[in-house]
Amino acid sequence: MNSTIAMITFRAMLGRRRALLLLALPLLLLALSVVLRSTGYDDLDVSEDVLQKFGLATLLPLLALIAGTGVIGPEIDDGQLMYVLTKPVPRQVIVLTKLAVANVLVVVFAVVPVLLSGLVLTGTTARMTPAFTVGVLVGGLAYTAVFVALAVASRNAVTIGLLYALVWESLLGNFAPGAKSASIQQWALSVTDALTPASPVRASVGLAVAVPLLVLVTAAATALATYRLRSLTVASAE
Amino acid sequence: MSELRLEGVSRWYGNVVAVNGVSMTVGPGVTGLLGPNGAGKSTLIHMMGGFLAPSSGTVTLDGTTIWRNPGIYRHLGLVPERESAYDFLTGEQFIVAMAKLHGLDDPGVAARRAIARVEMEPAAGRTIGTYSKGMKQRIKMASALVHDPPVLLLDEPFNGMDPRQRLQLMDLIRQMAAEGRTILFSSHILEEVERLASHIEVIVAGRHAASGDFRKIRRLMTDRPHIFLVRSSDDRRLAAAVIADGSARSVQLTDKGLQVEAVDFQRFTWLLPRVSRDTGVRLWEVSPADESLESVFSYLVDR
Amino acid sequence: MSTSTIHDIGYRHYDGRRNGRAYVLRSLFVHNLRAAYGLGRPARAKVMPFLLGAIMLLPAAGSVAVFAVTDRPETLMRYSSYPPNLQVIIAIFLATQAPVLASRELRFRVVPLYFSRPVGHLDFVVAKLAALVTALFALMAVPVTVLYVGGLVTKAPDPGDQLLRYLGALLGCALFALVLSAIGMVVAAFTPRRGFGVAAVIAVYMVSTAVVLIVQGIAEQETNFTLSGWMGLFAPFNLVDTVQVRLLGASKSSVQVAPGTGAGVVALALCAVIVLGSVAVLYRRFRKAGLS
Repeated sequence: MNSTIAMITFRAMLGRRRALLLLALPLLLLALSVVLRSTGYDDLDVSEDVLQKFGLATLLPLLALIAGTGVIGPEIDDGQLMYVLTKPVPRQVIVLTKLAVANVLVVVFAVVPVLLSGLVLTGTTARMTPAFTVGVLVGGLAYTAVFVALAVASRNAVTIGLLYALVWESLLGNFAPGAKSASIQQWALSVTDALTPASPVRASVGLAVAVPLLVLVTAAATALATYRLRSLTVASAE
Repeated sequence: MSELRLEGVSRWYGNVVAVNGVSMTVGPGVTGLLGPNGAGKSTLIHMMGGFLAPSSGTVTLDGTTIWRNPGIYRHLGLVPERESAYDFLTGEQFIVAMAKLHGLDDPGVAARRAIARVEMEPAAGRTIGTYSKGMKQRIKMASALVHDPPVLLLDEPFNGMDPRQRLQLMDLIRQMAAEGRTILFSSHILEEVERLASHIEVIVAGRHAASGDFRKIRRLMTDRPHIFLVRSSDDRRLAAAVIADGSARSVQLTDKGLQVEAVDFQRFTWLLPRVSRDTGVRLWEVSPADESLESVFSYLVDR
Repeated sequence: MSTSTIHDIGYRHYDGRRNGRAYVLRSLFVHNLRAAYGLGRPARAKVMPFLLGAIMLLPAAGSVAVFAVTDRPETLMRYSSYPPNLQVIIAIFLATQAPVLASRELRFRVVPLYFSRPVGHLDFVVAKLAALVTALFALMAVPVTVLYVGGLVTKAPDPGDQLLRYLGALLGCALFALVLSAIGMVVAAFTPRRGFGVAAVIAVYMVSTAVVLIVQGIAEQETNFTLSGWMGLFAPFNLVDTVQVRLLGASKSSVQVAPGTGAGVVALALCAVIVLGSVAVLYRRFRKAGLS
């Protein structure tokens, strides 16, 4: 971890318009929760629907994608990363710092809002709030690692990330059971499922499979990002 | 005193060879890396800066390999060609951050010293996004200088600078070379290289075309006609005598004097004094007209 | 003594005929349309649009193939359902390519270069929007056409009715392209940083769709189908689908569409507002960028 790299990355990510984009999504989740609560549509089914469809399946992958690719992708594209790479700093420190920043952003803009939204909707009923918070957190760690690795490996990182999150996880997940079990979203849901007795939460992957896979994917993605950054060739502009 | 050494370095991308079997040693002083656009200068600098692995051969700094060795950056400063820095930081914040990344004891002091070197104190409080091109170039220079490295690599440092900024940067580079640093800069503009570099390395189409003092390189190419400008008491008579001898291909009368294109450098320098003595013409001035890097270079490129 | 002269270096003014506004507009349009598919740019820029285009074709080809083998007409996908069913792919295409057209010149601050030539601000914006609309239309209309032609070749029943529905679906595709491009261009024009434009466009699509789906889910539980239908106007694909169903006689592909022909008119009006509003916003955005 390197505090200077972290400072620069935070400042790059939290510039005015970007901060707005990051903030708009969780605010919408909270607003929706408050509206549902005040109009009385806050039973367990609806709450689960909101937390899963909006929190876990929409907000989380989007924010992890923005944060994960945003902490390093533009710097590679625009060549500013040169200034960090030409320092006697081990490459794994750079990757771990970028990863940590992305994780902080995901916690602030996705995990905390899900926690708050859960509290607004269900309070502490059926331990659904902590269950979804933990699920979103572990899912966030895995997503972020994958998207950081993608950003180091490819210039089309954002699009590939979208194809994975939207097409593979959501679209194909509905048809092909194979795609469903190879899905960070489902693994995170499995963790949530294990933590709450609420019946609307139903994961398609067992905990014994989900947890090792989450750990494996996170570690592998981090290793890949470090390896790719060690031999990164900063090419010219488009 | 540090020495960058390239031995048999080649780099290819798929089927395209960007750098082909280059061996050179870059020692203290200013070395100009000269070549037309697309000759492979940037590829070479990227390999020297550790951003690109040589496909074959070795690049070392004082005996240590550069590729995949971040520790090397303690001894190496690199100014990339691309303009973009962290636009949202002020100049001072940027340089302090660079100093911290180098793990310097007192980053504030080091940053102020580097900023003072490039004379950017007045603008150090402004964000980099508001800088002009020359200012950006200078702040990038400060970022490479902050840890006082013995070796500096500059990729096209004069691009986009106005003449005054150009002179300032040249002064700065000269000063740093006088302190015993090893400085290599790339350029495709001859005038810059000619004014700054004592030593040139010429890259043409990925090949190492020439190396050394450019005047000496020029003299080595004896098969090329040399042009002299001669002023004398009677240009016409001298012209007639020179052309009669046959060591000159052409003689031209201009309002500045006599322009002689000599075929044989050796013979011409021996002949001219004799001819003038025999014809009784006084020589006032004999100067080589095309000893510029431009002519050396266009010769190498066209060969 | 020296005399000052201006040397004739052979520079000649262009006195010939100029091709005029239509030519400028067409050039901008063609340039942007090519850019939308990465043509004239490195291979890296071509990968995604063509990959997404290929993915768009797969279901149509598969559907025709299954029909040819089984001869069961219900295996042929409905033309009008094609864009809503593949909305995720279309949205990703929009998200990756809208910034190519809307943000690149802003990012590199070259917009003033356009306006230092006889290019009108409105022409510039309209050409860009039209290029993206055409690109999106091609993305949707090609597979729909494959579906129609495939049906003809494999002798799907009732060719007259098929033709009508095919033409209706093409109109639908055009409207989808218009509305989506309008939204995508505006969002991308305000997020010039690389990568963020893509994320912003997809966020607008995903969030609007997710919110609408959640509210629709609740409304359906309460058997309030009217509310559910009207909510659909707030998600882009559902909005255009409303027009398709209520004005073009298609069957619904969304969760719910608002009832009555009136709803179709309202939806169409909303589409028009989006497109015109987008042109207005883009006009102001690029005029401002052109000054700096």
